[in-house]
Amino acid sequence: MTDLAHEGDVTAEDHHDEHESLGMDARKLGMWVFLSSEFLFFGALMTNYLLYSNRPGLADPYPGTIYDIPFTSVSSFVLLMSSLTMVLAHAALERDDQHQTRTWLFATAALGSIFLGGQVFEFYEFITHDGMTLTTSPVASAFYVLTGFHGLHVAIGILMLLSLWGIGHSQGALSDKRGFNVELVGLYWHFVDIIWIVIFTVVYLLSTS
Amino acid sequence: MTTTTERPGVVEEAPPTTTIYRRPKSTEGFWGWVTTTDHKKIGIMYGYAAFFFFIVGGVEALLLRIHLASANSEFLTAGAYNALFSMHGATMIFLFVMPASAAFVNYLLPLMIGARDVAFPRLNALSWWAFLFGGIFMYSALFFGTGLAPTGVENVVGNLAEGGRPGGLNFLADMPDGGWFLYQPNAGPDFSPGTGIDFALLGIQILGVASLVAAVNFIVTIFNFRAKGMRLLRMPVFVWMTMVTQFLLLFSLPIIAIALFMATFDRNFGAMFFDATGGGDPILWQHLFWLFGHPEVYILVLPAMGMVSEVLPVFSRKPLFGYSAVIFAGAAIGFLGFGVWAHHMFATGISPVAQAAFGLSTMTIAIPTGIKIFNWMGTMWMGKLRFSTPLLFAIGFVAMFVIGGLSGVTHSIVPSDWQQTDTYYIVAHFHYVLFGGSVFGLFAGIYYWFPKISGRMLGEGLGKVHFWLMFIGFNLTFGPMHWLGLQGMVRRTWKYDPATGLEPWNIAVTVGAFIIALSIAVFIYNWWSSRRRGAPSGLDPWDARTVEWTVPNPTPVYNFATTPVITRLDDFWHRKYTTDDEGRAVRRPEADQMIADLEYDGRNPKTEIHLPAPSYFPLLLASGMPFIGWGIIWHTTTWGLGMVVLGVLLIVSGGIGWALEPLEEAHEEDHPHDEADEDEETHETEGASDVGRASESADTTEPVETS
Amino acid sequence: MSDGAHHTPSTSQYWKIALGLAVITALEVSLYYIDNALELGVLNAAMLIGLSLLKFVVVVGWFMHLRFEKPSLSRFFTGGFILAISLYAVVLGFMAAAVLRS
Repeated sequence: MTDLAHEGDVTAEDHHDEHESLGMDARKLGMWVFLSSEFLFFGALMTNYLLYSNRPGLADPYPGTIYDIPFTSVSSFVLLMSSLTMVLAHAALERDDQHQTRTWLFATAALGSIFLGGQVFEFYEFITHDGMTLTTSPVASAFYVLTGFHGLHVAIGILMLLSLWGIGHSQGALSDKRGFNVELVGLYWHFVDIIWIVIFTVVYLLSTS
Repeated sequence: MTTTTERPGVVEEAPPTTTIYRRPKSTEGFWGWVTTTDHKKIGIMYGYAAFFFFIVGGVEALLLRIHLASANSEFLTAGAYNALFSMHGATMIFLFVMPASAAFVNYLLPLMIGARDVAFPRLNALSWWAFLFGGIFMYSALFFGTGLAPTGVENVVGNLAEGGRPGGLNFLADMPDGGWFLYQPNAGPDFSPGTGIDFALLGIQILGVASLVAAVNFIVTIFNFRAKGMRLLRMPVFVWMTMVTQFLLLFSLPIIAIALFMATFDRNFGAMFFDATGGGDPILWQHLFWLFGHPEVYILVLPAMGMVSEVLPVFSRKPLFGYSAVIFAGAAIGFLGFGVWAHHMFATGISPVAQAAFGLSTMTIAIPTGIKIFNWMGTMWMGKLRFSTPLLFAIGFVAMFVIGGLSGVTHSIVPSDWQQTDTYYIVAHFHYVLFGGSVFGLFAGIYYWFPKISGRMLGEGLGKVHFWLMFIGFNLTFGPMHWLGLQGMVRRTWKYDPATGLEPWNIAVTVGAFIIALSIAVFIYNWWSSRRRGAPSGLDPWDARTVEWTVPNPTPVYNFATTPVITRLDDFWHRKYTTDDEGRAVRRPEADQMIADLEYDGRNPKTEIHLPAPSYFPLLLASGMPFIGWGIIWHTTTWGLGMVVLGVLLIVSGGIGWALEPLEEAHEEDHPHDEADEDEETHETEGASDVGRASESADTTEPVETS
Repeated sequence: MSDGAHHTPSTSQYWKIALGLAVITALEVSLYYIDNALELGVLNAAMLIGLSLLKFVVVVGWFMHLRFEKPSLSRFFTGGFILAISLYAVVLGFMAAAVLRS
């Protein structure tokens, strides 16, 4: 078989007979490689925040003084649980339970949207109630850009989840052999979740006191 | 399924009739190039675009040199001068050397590892279009940008001379003018209130997307798509250096992305990151920039090192001396490249501990670099050297890179560095490594692999004229800069006083620059005439060693008629040569027949070969990026917001089309049995530790229940 | 299903893992309030970072299946993680030192 590699059919099994490889799906390898570079992306943003968060003499309010910890704890919990629904969607697909796959995908997108809504509400409160905007101080800029880029990642994830859900509906079945699939979106989604795990601890819980 | 008559046996994936999306139908002509997913066509487009920007950056350099040839020159206004040196640097780095390397990687990587294409052909096309749009976006500053100066010093941009003489090519001052490094707060909103800088910030961001996508693509290609028997330690050195480069890109681009975003927010949305009056710390910019910027230096030079490591053995008719040492040294350079960034910041007042630590780490880089130089010389030593143009450029690379490397070591000694910082000595140093290094290496590669692309030889006579003109011009241009710098000529200076006595050497430098320009003109003529009238190359014009030369020239669209099986390093050489009793290489009697067979078989595949289907969507998706950039710059206006919306729509529609584009129907119809026997495949893996885990892998080896 | 599938957690195990993650989160939040009252300082920071790392490892290892993948994948991933941590620690260290000296 002399088939050419392409996203759609670059599955390890097609090529083991004539390729040296790491023995895994190329798309999955690509996603992991990409995610490993995302550490540097969010790391720079967090460095930025940590550099300024305790620097004396910046304009008030410091984000650490206005966090609503109970509220953020709840939204962090919601995002954490969306990782559960994501992994349930993938497990359902492995059982070829298409209906449950779609349900859990939709649930994941819904939980993600709740988290994102919470973030919008938080920003709104900070701006109108506490008077902290992007232009208040370097630490305020750092807070908004860090959490904002995380929110953007969540939004892109929701878009991909809903696309999968839509494809599942219109084509009747999802498959992990397709170029755009549940497992890859799942990896991305969990990664966005672990970044939030770190942000919640380092940015919210640790810099408040 | 349609089988074209010109290319027997090649099956283009037919556009499925069921989809609502229009699919590209032709792989020929203009639309064939626009919608292509063929790594060779993409590589060629990268090459031509990079060369175009090389000319642009070169013209910018010539304008700078005309200006600096005389003391107190009025040829350029200060604003135009600032913009020209900034864009010269940004162009040569981001729009010439990086894409030129990408051109070689695209064209050669799959061929060198025995693959038919890269892992993700459409992502590859996306990289190329994003690069092109990023370049166009940066240069759109010439038409849409404004190069305003801070309030109160407007005449700096116009002309420092009394009265502000009009002219002086002042229209160029609308381009980004903060240096390629865009130091803050100089490139921040207070000191560069025009929009010029934004074009650089957002343009480099788009180019970064292109490179990041390409990095993921090439890494996966190298790890997962090598031909059977092409173990990691049998890969050509160029592939190894490519791999190191792609990892450097993968890990350094996110850092610069953040730095660029921060500056963009500062300039456009009033964020305070680098605003010292509000407590911001401009030194953070330098840390983030050079965390990216120093690996970037190796990103520029490692591919050229790889090319030279391919050229030297072929023209010395000897194997590369110390193959694994060269590879190890390349990986070490890549790794250490992340640990030396603060040597760009010795003059910013970092702590003595930091100065000592980064001085030492910078010196250690000389070790793996020295290993490479030693190995290249060892390759040539006692070799039967053939002084063809590729070898001349490769030797030029080694010699010039040694000079640049040694002047680099002088920067690692901090007191010495303080004297050199921001003088022409630094300019001399990095041109010796980036021009004397990267560009000589790239030209060695161009002369060596031109037959691969065209099936013809580049003219040898003109090639040698090109080399000697460039070699003399290069040293006349950048050699004297060492002394200019040590005499105190400040880098980026717009004017110098005649009393400084710097003028004679500056005239010499300018003459050298024009000799380089002449050599490039010779090269362009050589290329243009050789493409039509060059001598036909045959399959193996250089008596080469690596597997990309086992296919006919120019490369057939499917690369390999049958995928090769590799049995050792320099596989092709060993198929042609054996050794006699005294260990000397002797050509096998059957070698000529084998090459004739390769030529015939390579053009006449015995089986059907599926090629990646062309696609509109990479272009569509990439085209949204510059619109978002323009929209951010004019976000205060309604039509600026409209452009953001347009950009997002283009990206989303491109993405949706991409996700829904059917790719595998033909494949599934043809090979329904594949999925049944896939569990029986044995996984061949590199490390012994991997073997045990291979069967446990939870990847997609599960068969899909197809009814 | 696949030969690897029985190594990955079952649905009920996923629920249990999620429950564990929820408990850790609750612990973290309560630590935050305990610290407000008792001023634990460094100890609190160490415990919070430890707990969030635990969550991190659980999500990556089980939800992202990294435990059940080839070691090469973990090498890429931890490579990026360690590189990021070390580079940014150096930057933060030097920049904080500069602020202290001034």
